[in-house]
Amino acid sequence: MKVGAYTQKLLHAALFYEIWDAMKVTFKHMFHRPITFQYPREQRTIPDAHRGALGLLRYDDGAERCVGCDLCEVACPSHCIKVISAEDKSLPLQRYASEFYIDITKCVFCGYCVEACPVNALAMTKLYEYSTHDKRTLLFDKKRLYEIGERYLADAKKYLYAHNQEKDDQDSRDYRYFFPQSVQKPTQPGPPKHLT
Amino acid sequence: MALKPVTTPDIEAATVELSIDGRTVTAKDGVSLYDVISNTGKIVPAMCYHYTFDPFGSCGMCLVTVEGKKAPVRSCTAKAAAGMVVRTDGDDLFQARKKAVEKHLSVHPLDCPVCDADGHCELQDMAFQHQVTNLANAKQKLIPEDTRSPVLDFNMNRCIACGECINVCKDVLMIDALQFIKKGGFTQVVAKGDTALACEFCGDCLAVCPVGAITNKYSKYLYKPWQLRKTTTTCNYCGDGCQMHLETKDNEVVRVTSPLSWKNKWGDRADTATGHGGICVRGRFGFQYIDSQARLRQPLVRRDRKLPEGKLTETPWLEAMQTVVDRLAEIKAKHGAQAIAGLITARCTNEELYLFQKLMRAVIGTNPLTAVRVKEAIRVYKSQVIVVDSAQTNIAKLASYPMVVTPGTEGLFVQGLVKSVIEQDLIDAETTGKHPEALAALKRAVADVSLETIAARTGISVELINEAASIFAEAPRAIILCAEGVVRRPDGYQNVLKLVDLAWITGKLGRPGCGVNTLTEEVNEQGAVDMGAAPEFLPGQARFDDEAARDKFAKAWGAALPAASSGANLMEILQRCRSGAIKALYVVGENPVATLPASLDVRTALEQLELLICQDPFMTETAQLAHIVLPACTYAEKEGTFTNLEGKVLRVRQSMDPIGESLPDWHVMTSLASGLGSQFEYESSQDIQSEIMKLLPGYYNLGEPRTLSPRPDAYLSNGYVAEVGSRYGVVREAVSERNDHRPFGLVMGQLLYHSGKLSTQASGLLTIAPSAGRLHMNAQDMERLGLTDETRVRVTSEQGSLEMGVKDDLSVMPGSCFFPEHFNDPPIKDLMPVAVDSVTGVPYFKFAWVKIEPVSRDASAHATPQDKARDKAREKAKDKGRA
Repeated sequence: MKVGAYTQKLLHAALFYEIWDAMKVTFKHMFHRPITFQYPREQRTIPDAHRGALGLLRYDDGAERCVGCDLCEVACPSHCIKVISAEDKSLPLQRYASEFYIDITKCVFCGYCVEACPVNALAMTKLYEYSTHDKRTLLFDKKRLYEIGERYLADAKKYLYAHNQEKDDQDSRDYRYFFPQSVQKPTQPGPPKHLT
Repeated sequence: MALKPVTTPDIEAATVELSIDGRTVTAKDGVSLYDVISNTGKIVPAMCYHYTFDPFGSCGMCLVTVEGKKAPVRSCTAKAAAGMVVRTDGDDLFQARKKAVEKHLSVHPLDCPVCDADGHCELQDMAFQHQVTNLANAKQKLIPEDTRSPVLDFNMNRCIACGECINVCKDVLMIDALQFIKKGGFTQVVAKGDTALACEFCGDCLAVCPVGAITNKYSKYLYKPWQLRKTTTTCNYCGDGCQMHLETKDNEVVRVTSPLSWKNKWGDRADTATGHGGICVRGRFGFQYIDSQARLRQPLVRRDRKLPEGKLTETPWLEAMQTVVDRLAEIKAKHGAQAIAGLITARCTNEELYLFQKLMRAVIGTNPLTAVRVKEAIRVYKSQVIVVDSAQTNIAKLASYPMVVTPGTEGLFVQGLVKSVIEQDLIDAETTGKHPEALAALKRAVADVSLETIAARTGISVELINEAASIFAEAPRAIILCAEGVVRRPDGYQNVLKLVDLAWITGKLGRPGCGVNTLTEEVNEQGAVDMGAAPEFLPGQARFDDEAARDKFAKAWGAALPAASSGANLMEILQRCRSGAIKALYVVGENPVATLPASLDVRTALEQLELLICQDPFMTETAQLAHIVLPACTYAEKEGTFTNLEGKVLRVRQSMDPIGESLPDWHVMTSLASGLGSQFEYESSQDIQSEIMKLLPGYYNLGEPRTLSPRPDAYLSNGYVAEVGSRYGVVREAVSERNDHRPFGLVMGQLLYHSGKLSTQASGLLTIAPSAGRLHMNAQDMERLGLTDETRVRVTSEQGSLEMGVKDDLSVMPGSCFFPEHFNDPPIKDLMPVAVDSVTGVPYFKFAWVKIEPVSRDASAHATPQDKARDKAREKAKDKGRA
């Protein structure tokens, strides 16, 4: 071993060179803007197009948008949606989803269901915090989905807008069908006059 | 082109040649051009055309160009002619068809997502195919839905006025219950007279509707077509054995669809090759019993019937089977094999029937749509149809010779026909010449029969009888169809033999296109006989006392068969139960307590049994008496085959998992046999099938009708001479005599909407025909007796009396009344006198003479207890007589 190399090693040992060398990165970061943030005290800003938990939406007058057409169910690649539809006896021609389930554990967040929906009843929100101790609560039912839709209505609308699904309120009225064209009062109360 | 061969079937059309897209094609002159094109394999869109009826030509989709014509023509209404040059493809045609689609779409609501036809809609398909994206002048009809009718809803917003529903109803089914009406500025389809639908409810209009204008109330808005699993299976309501598609979602039967649909106008039309492919009301709307709440889900065992705590309690299968096996073995050891008897229904599959008789014989050692085709004959072949019945039935309304006879005299009428044939000398010399003695005997037998007496008693004039006889005898091809009206009346067996006589002397026996057919009520009655589930037959209709056949089966089963004379039919079984000779009864799917009249004392007979095992999908009246109730599957939950009355073996496919813990009948029987120490190594119904195939080669013809050659020679040369005399000598009427006190003939029969007791578990059929507990009477009779729909009447027969409501029924003739046999509320069957056929041992109890009188409220209160006491006294007297 050469004398020069030996001296350098000795000097490094005396001055704790390795420690200073390693701490260099640390000291550099003391004057750096932080990259991580303190979740959950700090939250990240999420873009409008983000695909989070699904929610069901209502029209502005409070009526359910969903007509129970089962198209989301057929569009879903992971078969996590189940819709049970029925006829609303009080409103002729009105079909609605009597039950609606999304197994969010199976969901792959592809957003096809939202695209398939003819009335934009489904939308994705920015909600992603629904971890739980009980896996059963991750089977979202109709009530839960409407709760999500109500709570994150602004997010949902932004999602639909970002994905070019729905325009702002007034435009969307002209843009989409309202199902069905409900006929409120029957015009055929009974057999015609000439037969009674 | 099955049903509508050419536009005018009477004339043998000339063959012409025409060119379709450059290919030379031969066709019959005058046939619809559309049929010619579709026979070449080309698909031309058409929304209003279906080959089962005449072209209607309203949709404008089937456009083709014909050389020499300026504009495209509609190929459905155009007729094929010699030298036509036809082009079916091209951009101009595409644009013209696209315009037609746009025209339909402009008044069609775009509510596809909520429409039931979404995914099974011709207009939707056409819109995609023709790339319709924009509609210039769309408007909405805004017609409210017509929900007045039972079963079907009419949403006329979606209607494209193709008229398929109206045409199929009018031309194919000849019911004519629908019509177009102009209402609210639009042409709409409504029931005749713009009222609620009152028809046969076959639902074929629903099947052919290319859009969602006619919807099924039971499956409305439930599921989309792509969510359902479709299983092709055989209907189990009657002996026709129609093919149908059972559509299920998980373990729920959603709806039943027929092979007939707007889709089968293309392709080889194999689905509808043997008919129009439709199904009837029972098949289409009577499926709810399959997944009904009333289904048995667990085996039930009762420890002791006499003890109050001896209730039927739910028991696991293993334990229940152990009880069955132990007690059967005990009874067999104590009283011998003859103390055990078995009864099975013909609603089971061939495999199960085979297994059942094998189980009873080898292990235990004891013995145990046709109407549409007739209409087709009327319409297409212009045939003469003679309908003999005591009521004005739907088919009689279409027949050229509707003959309404006095109830109970159908047999007499047949006798009259035979007599008339002989008198008019219409006898076929060729066939009768071989058996001169038999003919002479028959002539001797009918010598005493007087046509005048028959005319007086049946209410049909001598001339009419003669005319009917000559039409029947002179026709080159004539067929006799008969059902319960003849078979289940007193002397039914004799009456069938008389029909055979009639066919024989007119030379109609054993000739193609002729014969005597009995239409059965339960689906597999033919199969039951073929499989040997009858005391006198071994599988393959071998006589049970035939030594060669006995050896063959004894060897195959590795067991000795019971003595040749040991078989017992239902009446004998009941008799032996009562006398104590039979200690244990194994009942599969039958319900003797509810179907036989009280005078037969089925209940007391069964109560004397030491062991009654009932295997049924439902808790029947018989099952309530049973010691052990085993839950069985319906046909939707098992594999197998049915044999229909044509002899076709038809597949039954499993469409869902068994409900609850119920098991297929073959499974239960296999484990029962194994428990009793026999090695039945069947893993599935296919294993049983392969055993039957070995024993009865050629039985599984899979859809092909078996060619049956009747062998009248043997029958005619042996014993015919002795037998025939007794058949005609006695002109007996019904068991209960008609007199002035009891002037009404009470007929118990089937409704079109029901089949046996099974269909009363189907809520769909109950909506159409509920158990009203009302007697059907002619309006004239009701007026004469001063009855209205509100009054209640007392119906009295020799057997007792009952109180019930009445309703007028146009099809019932004056002097008779009708009660549907499916319902036992009030227990009308108890009014029926019973006659047991001396040859076949079949009980006849569907006819009685009764007195009808109106009752007032307070009078009835007095009458009831007295009547009850009287009935009881009579019952006791009868019991004594028997003992």
